[in-house]
Order: sequence, then C-alpha cells, then structure tokens
Amino acid sequence: MIDKINALKEKISSIKATSAEEVEALRIKYLSKKGEISAMMNDFRSVPPESKKIVGQALNELKNLITDRINTLREEVAAQKGSERLKDLDLTRTPAVTPLGTRHPLSIVREEIISIFRRLGFSIAEGPEIEDDWHVFSSLNFAADHPARDMQDTFFIQREPDVLLRTHTSSVQTRVMEHQKPPIRIICPGRVYRNEAISARAHCFFHQVEALYVDKNVSFADLRQTLLYFAKEMFGNDTKIRLRPSYFPFTEPSAEMDISCNLCGGKGCSFCKHTGWVEILGCGMVDPNVLEACGIDSKEYSGFALGMGIERITNLKYQVKDLRMFSENDVRFLKEFTSAR
Amino acid sequence: MNISYNWLKQYIGFSLSPEELASVLTSIGLETGSVEEVESIPGGLKGLVVGKVLTCVDHPDSDHLHVTTVDLGDGNGPVQIVCGAPNVAAGQTVIVATVGTVLRSPADGKEFTIKKSKIRGQESFGMICAEDEIGVGTSHAGIIVIDEDVKPGTKAADYYNLSSDYVLEVDLTPNRVDAASHYGVARDLSAWLGLHANPSAPHRPSVEEFKVDSPEGGIKVVVENETACPRYCGVTIRDVKVAESPKWLKDRLTTIGLRPINNIVDITNYLLHGMGQPLHCFDLKQIKGNTVTVKTVAEGTPFVTLDGVERKLSENDLMICGAGGPMCIGGVFGGLESGVTEKTTDVFLESAYFNPTFIRKTARRHGLSTDASFRYERGADPNICMYVLKLAALMIKELAGGKICGEPVDIYPEKIEPYKVTLSYEHLNRLLGKDIPESTVDKILGLLEIETEGRHDGAVDLRVPTYRVDVRRECDVIEDILRIYGYNNIDCGTEIHASLSYKTLTDQSDDFKRTISEQLTATGFNEILNNSLTAISYYEPLQTLPASHCVKLLNPLSNDLSVMRQTLLFGGLETISHNINRKSKDLSLYEFGNVYFFNPEAESTAEKPLAPFSEYSRLGLWLTGDLRVGNWLRGAAEATYFDLKAIVANIFARLGISQKEIVIKDAEPDDLFDSCQEVSTRSGGRLGKLGIVSKSVLSRFDVGVDVYYAELEWSSLVKLATGRKVTYSPLPRTQPVKRDLALLIDKGVTMAQIEEVVKGSEKKLLQDIYLFDVYEGKNLPEGKKSYAISLTLQDEEKTLQDKQIDMVMTRITENLKNKLGAELR
Repeated sequence: MIDKINALKEKISSIKATSAEEVEALRIKYLSKKGEISAMMNDFRSVPPESKKIVGQALNELKNLITDRINTLREEVAAQKGSERLKDLDLTRTPAVTPLGTRHPLSIVREEIISIFRRLGFSIAEGPEIEDDWHVFSSLNFAADHPARDMQDTFFIQREPDVLLRTHTSSVQTRVMEHQKPPIRIICPGRVYRNEAISARAHCFFHQVEALYVDKNVSFADLRQTLLYFAKEMFGNDTKIRLRPSYFPFTEPSAEMDISCNLCGGKGCSFCKHTGWVEILGCGMVDPNVLEACGIDSKEYSGFALGMGIERITNLKYQVKDLRMFSENDVRFLKEFTSAR
Repeated sequence: MNISYNWLKQYIGFSLSPEELASVLTSIGLETGSVEEVESIPGGLKGLVVGKVLTCVDHPDSDHLHVTTVDLGDGNGPVQIVCGAPNVAAGQTVIVATVGTVLRSPADGKEFTIKKSKIRGQESFGMICAEDEIGVGTSHAGIIVIDEDVKPGTKAADYYNLSSDYVLEVDLTPNRVDAASHYGVARDLSAWLGLHANPSAPHRPSVEEFKVDSPEGGIKVVVENETACPRYCGVTIRDVKVAESPKWLKDRLTTIGLRPINNIVDITNYLLHGMGQPLHCFDLKQIKGNTVTVKTVAEGTPFVTLDGVERKLSENDLMICGAGGPMCIGGVFGGLESGVTEKTTDVFLESAYFNPTFIRKTARRHGLSTDASFRYERGADPNICMYVLKLAALMIKELAGGKICGEPVDIYPEKIEPYKVTLSYEHLNRLLGKDIPESTVDKILGLLEIETEGRHDGAVDLRVPTYRVDVRRECDVIEDILRIYGYNNIDCGTEIHASLSYKTLTDQSDDFKRTISEQLTATGFNEILNNSLTAISYYEPLQTLPASHCVKLLNPLSNDLSVMRQTLLFGGLETISHNINRKSKDLSLYEFGNVYFFNPEAESTAEKPLAPFSEYSRLGLWLTGDLRVGNWLRGAAEATYFDLKAIVANIFARLGISQKEIVIKDAEPDDLFDSCQEVSTRSGGRLGKLGIVSKSVLSRFDVGVDVYYAELEWSSLVKLATGRKVTYSPLPRTQPVKRDLALLIDKGVTMAQIEEVVKGSEKKLLQDIYLFDVYEGKNLPEGKKSYAISLTLQDEEKTLQDKQIDMVMTRITENLKNKLGAELR
C-alpha cells in the first residue's frame, strides 16, 4: 500500500492539464467519490493496525498533495485562459465614453477673479439686482441732476420712489457700508443691467466684480499694489499696468486701469488699437461723500474701490468676439472651454 | 471732442509729436483715442511736382492736342507729355502729375492713376494739371501757370505750402468741461509740461485793441431770472458784411468736423472750440424793441428752433427774448427767425454764463444736445464771458468789418469767486501713500493756476479758478495734484497692507457652488447662463407663476425682454431649443441664477421702496435626450426622470444633507410639469421641485422631446448645508446581509408606500432598500405589477443569525401583504 502511495506521490508532481476540462477530469480521477483516493481510503481498512498510523499519514499527505496540485493546475489554466482572452482583445477600440461637461466661461473667469482677491483676504458680498435709487446712485454721490447719470442707461421698474435694475455692483458697497463698520474688505460679484441695444459689443445684462477696502490709512499706493497683483495673477507675471485719471462720481481720485496687451505683449496690435494697452477696469479712492452717506467718518477712514466687467476680462482671456455668445449657450461654444479653469 | 494739433499749437508751444501728445493728454485725464492725419487737400498733392515746359508743338494727328517736353528737375532730362489744354506754351512753369500719381476725378471724385501712355501715337509720361484736377481750386479753364520763378522738381505740396494737421479725439469725462476747448487743453498741457518737460505757458490772445467805435446804437439787456443767468454780456456791432470765411478759418472748423457757414457764425464756433465759451449771435433787426430780455415764458409757448422744429416751451426754459417774443433757448439752441443770414448787416453778440441745472433740464426736456448746452450743463467759466465777447468782436471787425456800437453790456450782479479749499500736506500724503515734497505740491498748484492764499499748520488755503468746476474739496485738489504728478509715479512695494476678513455665508455659498459645479461637470453637465430679462408672454398663460407677479420694466428694450424671470426653466428651454436646432439633442444642463418676484399686495414706500420685490438664488437642472451615447460596449442610456432624481440626490449628498433630513413627495402637476415631486425639509421648508416638463410648455419652445427639470432653492440648501461637521465613526465589525423580495402588487401601489411599510417594519437592522427590477408585462394577473426590492440588513455589533433574519423578513412580508396586498412571487 505504502509503495502505491509513494508511487502516486511521485507521479502527482508531474501531472499536467491544459484546460479546465482536463483539470476536472483529474479531479474526478483522483478526488471524486469513485476516484483513486477514495479507493485507497477503502483499502486502508484492510491495513494492519500496526501500519495504520504510517499509512494513514502518508495517505493524508497524498490527498493534500493532489488537492494542491489540482488547485494549482486550475489556477494555471484559468490564468492562461485569461491572458489568451486579453491577447485577443482589440485595445484600439474607441473608449466607452463617460460624459464630461464644462463650466460656463464667465463662471470660470468670475471664479478666477474672486480667488485672486480671496488670496488677498477679501471676502465675498452680494446685494440685490432690483435696487432703489439711493443704493445705486444717491449714496454713490450721483447728484440728482448730474450729467454722470447720463453715463448709464437705466432700466426702471417704478418711479417715485425709484426702483431700478442696478447698473453696477457698486450698490453692494453701500449695502455693506451702511451696516458694517470698517475694516471692510469685500469683493462683490454680480449681474448688472444697462438699457442698451443688444449687439456683438453691448448687451442689456452683464456681470461685474467690484472690490472695496475701507480702513484707517488706506491709500492710493495700496490700490495700485492690489491692482498690480491682480493683473499679474490674472494675466501673467509679465503684465504691466497703467493708470489713467478718469471720473466716477463715487471715487476721488478716480482712475482707469490699462494692462499691457496680452495678445501682442504691448508691441501694438489691432486688438489694442496699436496702443499696446487694453483698458480693463475702473477704480479710485472712495469719495468722502460716499463714506459719509453710509455713516463712516471720512476723516478717520479712507478706502479704495475697483470694478471690472467679467465679460471684458473673459473676452481678453479667450478672445470671444461677440457678447451674445455668452447667453446663447450653444453647447459647441461651451465645449470650447472644457479645459479652461 | 476733436482737437486739432495745429490749432492747439496756436495756444501753446511744445515739441511733442501728435502721438506723444495723445499719450500725455491721456495721462492727465484727457483720454485721447485716435490720432488722425487730416489733409486740407485730399491726397495731399502727393506725386505732383513743379515742371518747366521746354518745348510745345501741335500734335501731328490732332487739332487740339499739344506735344510738350517738360523738365521735372529730377536730373533725368526732359520728358514728353501730351497736353490738351489750350493755354499750354513753352516757357511756362506748370504743375505735373508724374507717372504713378493718384488723382481724383473732379467730376465724381473717383481715384485714377497716371500711367505712361500713348495718345494718338505720341508717348506721354504724365499730365500737366488744371486746378480742379488736383483739388487746389475749381478752375478747369486751362492748366495752372505759375507766375513766380519756381525751381522745377519742387514738390507741389511745398509750393502750395500744404501742411498736414492731426485730429486728436479726446473723450472728456463729465467733470472736465474746463478742457472742452483748445485753450482748455493747452492750459492743462501746460501744467504737465511745467513739471515733466520744458515749461510753456498757455498763450491767451490779447483783447487790448478792443474799443467802442460809436457810443450810440447799443442794445439794452434786462435779465429777469438771475438764478438761471448769473452773468450776461453782449455787444452790438453794426454794418458787418456777412460772407464766406477765409480759408484758414474754414480749415480750422472742417478739421475738427464742423461745417463752415458764414464768417459771423464761424467766428462764434471758432471761439467756442477755441476758448470754450459758447457765443450766440442775433440779427439785430430781428430784436424787436431794441431790448433783449432774459426770462422764462408761459408754459406751452410755441417756439421754432434753428432746425425748423416747433417746440412747446416749458415755464422753466430760460429764453432770450425780444419785444416780439422768444428768440433763442438760452444756452441751448437758437431760433429760426433771429439767426444771422446773408442779409444780416447788424448783429448783437451774446456771451453769457447760465446755471448748469437749468440748461441741463431744458436740454433734456427738448431732447437737445448742442455744443453750447454740452458746456453750459457741465459748467462754463463765468469769468471768461467778457473776455471772449471782446475777442469775438475783434474777430468780427477783422473778418466782416462793422463797428462796435455802445459799451458792451455786462450784467453780473454777484461775482462768482474762486472756490476756497484748504489742503493739508499730511492728508495728501496719507491718501496717496507716498510723501510728495511740499515744494513739488506747491509747484503743481501753481501750474494748475490754483492760488495760495495762506499757510498754517501744514496746510494751505487755496483759491481754485472758477473754470475748474469739479475742484471744490480737498480730495478734488489731491486728485488734481496727482493727475499732474502722474498716477503711475506712485510706486508700491512687495508688502501688503490689509485688515483681516473672515469667511461669510456668501463665501460659503460660493464654495458650495464650485463644488457642485465640478460635480455636475464631471457628470457631463454643461453650465449655462441665461438673461434674467424675458418675455411676459411666457407667463401670461400660467397660474403657478402668474404674469401679475412678474417684475416689469417701465422702459424695456422690447416685449421679449420686458419682465424678469420667475423661473430658470424657460431660459433653459430656449437653450435646449437652440441646441436641438443645431443637432445637439443630448443635453444635460445646469444654471445658477436668480429669479425675481413682484408681490402686488405689498406697498412700495419711500422708506421701503423694495418691499414688493424679492429675488432668490436657484439652481436649475435640465436633462433631455441621451444621458450617455451608445457605443460598442453598451447601448445608449436615455435620460429619465430617475436619472435627474439621482443627480439631485447626489447634490444633497455632496452638501452633506442626508436622505433622512429631507422629504421627497409627489406634488400636484401644475402649469410647468406634467408630473412632479417636491423636495422639502422635514419641517416643510421648500428646497425645490423636480419633474417632467409639461407638453404644453415644451410646445411653446418648439421642443418635441421629453425634458426633465429640477429647480432647487440654492440659498436654502446653503443654509442647511453650512456648518456641518463630518465625524469619523468606527467601521462595523459585521458584514451586511442582503435579502431580495419579488412582490406582486396592485398597479396603484407606489414604491414610496413599500418603503414606508418596510421601514416601519424594521427600524433597527434595515440599512438600505432599493428597487432593482420592475415588471409590468404579460404573465401577471390583470391590474398587477411586480416590484423586486433588495433589502440590506445589518447589526453593526454582532453577526446576524439566520433565525433573526427570517423573523425580520417574515415581519416585513406580512406587513407588505396586510397593508399593501403584496404577494411574494
């Protein structure tokens, strides 16, 4: 018996199989109820008691050996089959596409502007789009009969008391200043409206971002530095800025900021009308009348404000030529910004 | 406003090129856009030279042409030119258009090029020109013959002393009326030159020669409304000769885009643009009663202005009147009857200062904007009226003759003094963030003609000239100093001066928006952005969002943009329609936007004007077409309501709002949805609505496919999601157990009912329940359907025993059977 076991032991290490069927056949041959091991188990009964221990051990070893071997063969066969299956697979087939969407270009730019200012410690403030005269004009130093009111074509909702669609996000400044004492360091993104015929270059609604900083000793130099930081972060480290005196009722001094044209690098091209500069935002030191209108002592506090059109910056970044594209929402247009961020 | 480079030089000497000038003006706040070269003769006589006719013989094959040889002084010897002019002769000095010269046809203005040609067999290398052919005159009687001895080869442009001018387009901000003239620009330029280049004072023409020619014959002036007319100056000039202006004057005006009319009118225009003071000239014969009265007239008085339009006057319009009635809308527009014509011989010249508010209101009332009203409504200089009046009178005498009759009138009851402002050097330095030396500040003040009255404690008392209407306060003076000092000369370091600001709810909302946007982008959604102004017609058929609740504009651009949206839905449907028409039919879209409401019940008061108006931030989600396109591996996945529901669920999950906190229940179908569900908090707070967009709404947008739409109350979600903490809990030591049930139920039984029964039957162990199969086909009894649900049970503390599981499952099946009549299949 023991010889038979040993003979089988030796044979077992060399048994082979190339398919799952052959492995199964081997299993049946050795390990099934009618298999060779079972048969040997039956023969074991007739083994003399004194040999039973040795033979039993040997038999158990054999069984384990065969079981292991068959398992190994099964894994080998499975692995081989798997690799053959993959070998046949045409990996050049087109991917099983997972849909990918895109952000709106104005949102992308809006977020970029905001994130630059948040890095400078500004927090976001918002206000209503439907506004009263006080917040949009009067508190911002627009005199009732001042020609400056002609600069902005206003949509009115009702007269006396005047309710209108805000023409700029500067109204958020006064919303915040009338309730909060300085220091105030806010960035105000939002939608604004102008009563202008819709064309490639003008729309009746667009978006602005306004920044306001009011505290003790806020200076024009602080404004300039914030502007320079913003311009470099937004348009690249080589960007230069230029301030030009301008006029806004709510700032004094007032300025307009140009950046070196990011298309031609300041050499002059048709985009910058061969000046090398493009205008991107208006800014200035908050007019004392505005501070006083909001109950802030203009002798103690000063501040700067700046505001820009998101569409303008977006056009500059992506060279979109027609403002109407932004609200047309053609998905072919939107897809162009898949990788923008 | 157009500024002529040469005209400007009349008032100030400088050596800047037109382009340099433009950039300097821009840097001091006079934004200069384009710089254009203007030629007083089109083409600028390019290619035309003086030539000497050496020989001239008749053309052998023509009875009127001549063959000439002409010396062009170019050292290449004479050239042959065929000429048809009767007056051509040897020895003449003429103007020749050489080969290649571009000329304009005097007949139609079309350009043509002079070419080498053969005229009836004779070669011709150019053209001997007549006046009209080169634009120096109108004569076509024959070629130009120059009397003087001019060297052949001299450029015609040099012979005619032709010089180019440049027009600078200056875009004035509303506060800078002081620079609304050539002199005004020169004055500001002078301040810049004084600090940054060679100092150069502006030159003001002298009026010393002004004298009254005859003490008699003046006109009387009465100013009734001194508030509206603080100063009125005038002078009478008789025996003038109205004629065409001389070329130099016409050139000045045409260069800046004005049309010359006659010498008198041209002088007033010239001085308005030269010195900034509007002037008006009346035909003396039309001033009835020999008296000019400045007053307002009765409401509704008719008046015909210079443009021939009859206007109804307001009782607040300031009128310049004669005894016969109003003659001119003061400071705005002249009358048709009283203006200077070719027949005029005597004139009355007005130079006044009007109250800006009056002028502005009148100009607006009549929809008029003239060069005069532009200046008056922004604020002219009251102290320049008499000076410019005298200047005008002198020019009229020079160009139109006549004599000054009577002392000039000057009604100026209360002299307007320079504005007094005190400037503290410390304030200046603090506001600018840079220490500018006091001496520099003083120098700039001097250059700006701001007088220093006195000094005390680091401050100066200033007198600001009256032409600087925008400089009344210390901060205005600071701006003016900075303007000249240079906005770009304030440098900044590398450190930042900032106060601390903390994250607000708005910051939080923005962060959430970004998170959700990124999540939706990764799911295939495109972000859209629609106009909040929309058509009232969208709301007119609705009861859910009635048109009466729309915020309406008083002055809309069009009917299609006359109200504000109450829902984001329609903008998205416009987008869907637009894209389907362009072959993009599989659309997953979202928009963050505001919606706006008017409450007809609330009252708008002076204290709370906005009481009836409200606006809310919303998130809209649209699904239509295929969610995923089909490919070789999987078929197309058509978007369904349940996909939208899953996307909404993921938004809640991402914001940390658990399913246990919210209720999603069926809502009554409304105008917008054929069927829909509402999401709210447990306490009933509205969070949004989602459903299948109604067919009747879709048809209004020509959308023929199903659209699934959700609109979420974004600000409510933000409030709910803010301040949540994520806390780790230990992983369960046990494995969950899954049990499936195939239920045969009545068609009317809903999943929500099943969930309710199951959850009610087992609260402790039930972790999850979901529907994994629905069967409504054949082989089922009439009126029945089959729902296969999968339940997950778990006790996190110990492994569940079979017995325990069976007990739970029995209880659940019993309850389903008793409460919903569900049978196991």
